[in-house]
Amino acid sequence: MAGRNNNNPFDQDNYTHNIDRNNERSLDRRGFMKTLVGAAGVFAVASLPWGTLAAKELMGLSDKEYPHKKIVDVKNLPVGESLEFHFPSEHDSAVLIRLEENKYVAYQNACTHLRCPVYWVKEEREMVCPCHHGKFDVQTGAPTAGPPRRPLPEVIVEVKDEAVYAVRVKRYEA
Amino acid sequence: MKRSYVGVISLCLVLFLDIVFMQLLIHQYFFENYLVTLIFMAGNILLFPIAFLIYKKEKDKGAESHAKK
Ligand code: FES
Repeated sequence: MAGRNNNNPFDQDNYTHNIDRNNERSLDRRGFMKTLVGAAGVFAVASLPWGTLAAKELMGLSDKEYPHKKIVDVKNLPVGESLEFHFPSEHDSAVLIRLEENKYVAYQNACTHLRCPVYWVKEEREMVCPCHHGKFDVQTGAPTAGPPRRPLPEVIVEVKDEAVYAVRVKRYEA
Repeated sequence: MKRSYVGVISLCLVLFLDIVFMQLLIHQYFFENYLVTLIFMAGNILLFPIAFLIYKKEKDKGAESHAKK
């Protein structure tokens, strides 16, 4: 407290210029390592939900037989047309395509890139995702263009008594 | 003055593994290999304490602490 130092404004009654911003943004080695550890923590936490879902799947629902569900009457779906439906639950949208007189294919149509709904484009005989122009092969569900890397999950369908039924969802072939 | 990069480099490695595991984890989940998913999750979780231990061990090494002493 003795005397005033040469700083201006001087220290003891400096109430306004008291924030030291020197080196505020510098990141030293220790700080950098701290950040990395934090990032590792974020990764650890972020992988938890996937693990839980997987565990759930392993414990109970691994039996993938859902009750068969009627989609549409054969006479209401002309060749080359498609129809949206939901299978196995109300929240899994899917698309049924009648390719030929007796050939039907169905896929869960949440794009494997970022889950936009994939549409059947009749003229190009291709399934197209409008979001980032992902394309899928209609015969197999395999991605043919754009960002998606994984195939669409196929829904097995069955024709019985002049109607089309969804039977089950096929496993990916990894 | 001696620099020590061991901590930084090994932590970078840990983080790289984290990213790789995460990618595989999500892919395997969608491919319905749930057991593999669980293994990758365990891996990702284990990497965190490893990172922390590396940090604890390495934080006082390097140029700064030498300069202070
Ligand atoms: S969400 Fe379908 S291509 Fe990106």
